[in-house]
Amino acid sequence: MGKDNAADSTSLLSKNVKIEGEIQGPENLHVEGYIKGSIKLSGDIFVCNTGIVEADVEAKNIVIQGEVTGNVLARQQLEIHPSGKLIGDCSAASIDIKEGAVFEGRSIMIKSSGSSAGSSASGNIPASAASKQHQQSTVR
Amino acid sequence: MLLFGKKKKESKSVRQQATSAQNETTYFGRNLQIKGRVSGNGNLVILGTLNGEFRLKGRLKIAQPAKIKGDVNADVISVKGSVHGSLTAHDLVHLDQTARIEGRINTPKLSIMEGAIFDGEINMGVQATKPEKATGSDTGLSSQDTASSAEKSTPS
Repeated sequence: MGKDNAADSTSLLSKNVKIEGEIQGPENLHVEGYIKGSIKLSGDIFVCNTGIVEADVEAKNIVIQGEVTGNVLARQQLEIHPSGKLIGDCSAASIDIKEGAVFEGRSIMIKSSGSSAGSSASGNIPASAASKQHQQSTVR
Repeated sequence: MLLFGKKKKESKSVRQQATSAQNETTYFGRNLQIKGRVSGNGNLVILGTLNGEFRLKGRLKIAQPAKIKGDVNADVISVKGSVHGSLTAHDLVHLDQTARIEGRINTPKLSIMEGAIFDGEINMGVQATKPEKATGSDTGLSSQDTASSAEKSTPS
């Protein structure tokens, strides 16, 4: 899993810092502070205990210990810890929701090939494949 | 632990997190691109790009590959990267050799290393936080100072 880590550097947003806007790039990101807007990373994102994210999030692996409000796309794995809270829909290749975690929304499973479900459906993937993805979807 | 990479990288980032938790230093890596507004308390190091605004209570380090377009506001600003916009420091601005600034600097204290590139204006006399009011009251007393420091090249 950690083999082809696209991002070799990890950024940190500490507790008392706030970003309002768009964040993107091949980085890993730890969020202890607050983010509002959108996040698109090819690395991993950790929302730590104190972290609050009000944004659509796209990343390779997503770990939630804090609060996330928005739609989430994990190209590999989504992990919600007991202290974590996700309000919004998730798309992930694999999900791990721990006991005590809060998740309100729909869940759609994608293939871990790295193609994002929504954006690439109109492109290379034929319609039959796109509809297959919906058949796989699990609800809670 | 809850980290993904099961290699040496893991211990590195754990350490990084631990140390930064003490100092509360925010770190934006070189690949991170931010559009928007960054604000808050604490120290911050940026190596990536920011298109927008910084509003920080604390020290800001704009490291070597960093590129910033927009206004920067902090207590102490030290620059090694490039900034297109205005720098406003409450205490101090330091431009290192590799710094490249295009814009305006407002600060009570300034140091510039040999090799730094600076295209723009510097404003040192007036309080950085409220420039307009301060200019009005200051002009009567120290008009000579302001004239000599800020408007060297004005033809009369």
